[in-house]
Amino acid sequence: MNLRIAGMGWVTPLGRGIDVVWDRLIRGDEALAQPISDSVSDKTYSAFRVPPDALKNLLPHPRLRRASAISRFAAAAGLDALDGARSTIGEIDVQRMALVFAVSNGGVIYTKRFYHNVVESGAQSASPLLFPETVFNAPASHLAAILGIEGASYTLVGDGAVGVLAIKMASDLLDNEALDCCLVVGAEEADWLLCDAYRKWRLLKSEPPIEPFHEPPRGMILSEGAGAVLLARRGTVQIDAIDAGGNFSQRHKANEIVRRILHDLADEDACVIASANGTFIDLAEREAIENELPRGIVYSPKPALGESVGASAVWQVIVAAQALQTKRLPQMLHSGRQVGPNFPKNDRTVGKKAIILSCGVNQQAAGLRLSI
Amino acid sequence: MGTEVVRFNDLRGKRASVRVAVVSAGVISPLGFGLDETLASLRGNKDCVSPVTRFDVEKCRCKAAGQISDERLNDRQNGAKTNRLHRATRMMTAVLDELLVTDPKYKPELTVIGTTSGGMSFGEDYYRALYRHAGLRHSARWIANYPPQKPVIDAQYAFGISAPCQVIANACASGTNAIGHAFECVRSGKYQRVLTGGYDAISELVFVGFDSLQAATPEKCRPFDRDRSGMVLGEGAAVLALENLESARARNAPILGEIIGYGISTDNHHLTQPDPSGRGPRRAMEQALQSAGRSAGEVDYINAHGTATTFNDAAEGRAITELFAKVPVSSTKSMIGHSLGAAGAIEAVICLAALKAQLLPSNINFRNPDPDLDLNIVANESREAKIDIVLSNSFGFGGTNASILIQKLAA
Repeated sequence: MNLRIAGMGWVTPLGRGIDVVWDRLIRGDEALAQPISDSVSDKTYSAFRVPPDALKNLLPHPRLRRASAISRFAAAAGLDALDGARSTIGEIDVQRMALVFAVSNGGVIYTKRFYHNVVESGAQSASPLLFPETVFNAPASHLAAILGIEGASYTLVGDGAVGVLAIKMASDLLDNEALDCCLVVGAEEADWLLCDAYRKWRLLKSEPPIEPFHEPPRGMILSEGAGAVLLARRGTVQIDAIDAGGNFSQRHKANEIVRRILHDLADEDACVIASANGTFIDLAEREAIENELPRGIVYSPKPALGESVGASAVWQVIVAAQALQTKRLPQMLHSGRQVGPNFPKNDRTVGKKAIILSCGVNQQAAGLRLSI
Repeated sequence: MGTEVVRFNDLRGKRASVRVAVVSAGVISPLGFGLDETLASLRGNKDCVSPVTRFDVEKCRCKAAGQISDERLNDRQNGAKTNRLHRATRMMTAVLDELLVTDPKYKPELTVIGTTSGGMSFGEDYYRALYRHAGLRHSARWIANYPPQKPVIDAQYAFGISAPCQVIANACASGTNAIGHAFECVRSGKYQRVLTGGYDAISELVFVGFDSLQAATPEKCRPFDRDRSGMVLGEGAAVLALENLESARARNAPILGEIIGYGISTDNHHLTQPDPSGRGPRRAMEQALQSAGRSAGEVDYINAHGTATTFNDAAEGRAITELFAKVPVSSTKSMIGHSLGAAGAIEAVICLAALKAQLLPSNINFRNPDPDLDLNIVANESREAKIDIVLSNSFGFGGTNASILIQKLAA
């Protein structure tokens, strides 16, 4: 089987669109954090939010009328990926297309609002309009309806590695020759409740910047948005290999599995698009890179875009694909201790392969390798 | 185990199609713990729905559910560490234990599990503590055990398994989707062994949500009955060990049955309501038959999704009537309630038990046939019958529909 990226879509705190976001990353821009608060507490956190005008061109659809932000992000990224793919591989028969949706926290805004009403006023105040939007597969359902997909649609839940697991699932689905392509979408929406939860879990810092590979780790900043890749048998960037990885029981054991993944995927010609986000996973990735690919160029998009959890691995794939196609990588922002000698400089060219390392904060790790 | 790197160029042009055995299984549902208790309760047509005491249901229309006894769960797993875990993790650990007792040598390369709500009740505890500004000292534990992959990873870890986990959240079809995808992974020849199943533990948010939709009934759950008035919720977990049949036979593994077909379709009609035409469920069932190379006439029993809501049963019943001629049909949700992400997995194990015992499980609380549905309901009493092939349906919010076909393996 030949698995390629035929189209991509990107909705981020730096805007919407592959070229828009990529140009800003190359320029060294980073998203501006916004304060995020909630009536349930007087604590305020910072998060990178998708600017409202990023979705201004999203076509209205009945399914999106009451949908949560996550569904709108997913719809915009998915539609953009299909538009991009049409210029690469021509018309797409949606009856021969599957959808795999990757998510971690899901529709947390409506879920919180729904449950808040129950806690505050009792079960009789539960909203039948909000409840369906709390279900993990609501965004995928909306997207399938917008695109007219009537076949396979899966929602996968996991941590930051779920995007790679979704691509793995897509590759398995495309073994079926009845399918021409599979749209993989990762999406997340930011909310105060998530910030508070990750803070209590000692993973979040109060303000930017995210400082990847800093010792000791100082924490991450959450973000939101969506990434979409249309996988097909034709396209410009090839997926060489996917390692669905495995799980680690405790944080300090993440290095073992990340190192094994990198060992399996390592290629001297490859740069590494890391998931380093200012938490314990940076140490695991640093050890793996120092041991398995010490001369590889390393880049993490998270200082610029934030930690988007369910969307993050798909964002890394998009960064890698763009790097291979443009032969450039953005400059790593706010890097602390170096991983080997090779954070990218502005003029550094990229070879023909890129490895995506994806280590989540909740026990999952996976990776894949692209080539051009 | 969990380390396979698939390099696509190596697989180009190869498309194997192998037979897929179920070599072991584990189940916890309101019917009981394990396959033997499950079968005994099926024979006894046991109504396992009881009043909900876990949270306040005073303001809900429905006040009952099919529930797992905490006492029995705690009897099996006790200790400082397990006491910190979510009930869903305990359920998953218990069913994986049962599976591995039957086949201790089973080592999956991939795990595909369905759920809808993970450790939701811990999320509720956390939010209530935030709201009260009190009791937040447990919040780190609640948050760490809330994500849906956590019960799967922890259960695997308890038995030294570290296979990568794909956790499918396709609403009420999650369990059947998980089994179906796992089946396709093995059938493709890429994997020898894939662990699959589903779990869900009852939670206030989900219970109140279905109540707010008026999908839950204050009365008995009566699938396909003329006077059906809605569903009751349930909970539980089930896992199935899938393996390439040749590999299973080569190591003399016990074989419970064979998965032979899978169908998946998506309705774009509405987020929560099925297309009344039954088109989506029909496509899923047709695909499952096509994928197995079987005809509708070869199916001996259908374990229906059968939630007992007006719309689901009408759409599913119509699709079954159009495709099948008087095949015996029952919804075992009448006995145990609807366990959401676990339902498809529990019902697959019920189908395996039915094949083993040559028993048609009953659709209890059935009083009056629906004149709009020409179905052969296994009403109120289980009965013996010759059954070789069974179909199990699961349909869910978001318009997701899934069907699998399971076959008794000839000796």
